[in-house]
Amino acid sequence: MAHSVAVKTSGLALKASAFGLIVMASPALAAGDSKGGLPQLDFTTWPTQIFWLVVSFALAYVLMWRVVTPRIASVLEDRHDRLDDDMQRARQAADEAESMRVAFEKTLADARAEATEKTRLSTAAAVAEAEKKNDAAAKRLATKIGKAEAKIMEARDNALTELDDVAVTSAIDAAAALAGVKITKTDAKKAVKAAAKAMPAMEQN
Amino acid sequence: MHSPVEQFTIKSLLALELFGFDISFSNSALFMMLSVLVSVTYLTMAMRRREIVPGRLQASAEMFYEFISEMVKSNVGSEGRPFFPFIFTLFIFLLFGNMLGLIPYSYTFTSQIVVTFVLAAFIFVGVTLVALIKHGMHFFSFFVPPGAPKVLVPFLIIIEVISYFVRPVSLSVRLFANMLAGHTMLKVFAGLAVMLTSAGGVFAAGSVLPFLALIGLTGLEVLVAGLQAYVFTILTCMYLNDALHLH
Repeated sequence: MAHSVAVKTSGLALKASAFGLIVMASPALAAGDSKGGLPQLDFTTWPTQIFWLVVSFALAYVLMWRVVTPRIASVLEDRHDRLDDDMQRARQAADEAESMRVAFEKTLADARAEATEKTRLSTAAAVAEAEKKNDAAAKRLATKIGKAEAKIMEARDNALTELDDVAVTSAIDAAAALAGVKITKTDAKKAVKAAAKAMPAMEQN
Repeated sequence: MHSPVEQFTIKSLLALELFGFDISFSNSALFMMLSVLVSVTYLTMAMRRREIVPGRLQASAEMFYEFISEMVKSNVGSEGRPFFPFIFTLFIFLLFGNMLGLIPYSYTFTSQIVVTFVLAAFIFVGVTLVALIKHGMHFFSFFVPPGAPKVLVPFLIIIEVISYFVRPVSLSVRLFANMLAGHTMLKVFAGLAVMLTSAGGVFAAGSVLPFLALIGLTGLEVLVAGLQAYVFTILTCMYLNDALHLH
């Protein structure tokens, strides 16, 4: 900063001296007015200039010192305070919002965990219930199936016995009609049993 | 045909005398007072509404304040704070003096060597007193550059002392010469334009050239007016910094 200013001022001083040369070279200046030379070098005007410089500068200093600068300073200070205040409030609001967000997230997480736990529990309960019911139903079904199977077996046995009787009767009738031989029921039965044994496939069926 | 330096003549407006000295209220005094009144009125009126969000006028006044405040802070430091009103007054007084002086038919009091020299001498004496009060006899170590070879010290002291005493001269001559040269140039070109116009014919048409140059120079002089007020003020800050901190 100081350096650049020094450079600037030396540049300006150069410029000023160049201007000064022009001024010196100006024939109008060299001729001068009736008093001769620069009015700046007329010492008789110096006292009045010094006097009014002191008066006006002192007046300016007192006014700037007492009125102008304190007024500007107070406005700048007010603004600074106000900004600080606003910044502080904004920071506070941001902090509050942050804590609210944290609280909200915690509530949400809690609720989520609770819901998960409840779902898990109720699912487990439902599964157990369903399994119980399933088992009961399976048992019931098994007994029903067993009974039905027994009934079917019984019916088949009956049917087979009946079939044997039919076979015996038809064997007696066939023997009588074909060979004219009268065979007893007992003999017929024996023959049917033997035939049945020879045809296990039928029995199987 | 008037001389281009006739504009610097002090004209008495109201004859006054004090202890045998002529202290007439002159054109120079009028513009010194105007500089004070205009600047103080402007700065006071601009801050009248004390707005938190400033309008243009208030922002400009605050800008001047902060500009000088920043200048004092960065060049002198926190110890420069008590001198802030003085530095601020100095800058505003010179700036308004230079600027008002650019208005046609006005008077530029900063084009007077006596004015700039009295200001510079006051600053020189004030700064030296500040240094003596703050550092006492130790102040004189200021004239011995630190780390200089012992053989060179006597010569360096002479150089440092001369450069110290040249300060008020260079400070005052810089501002005075800039104002004198600038206003003389303006007058020369204005005079040329008028002369060519009164010559008539082709010369009258040619008067456009110095007139255009005059417009450009006026712009340059506005820059110089601001810059010289700034340079005078910042050099004052640096002298004050030297006084408060020595090296």
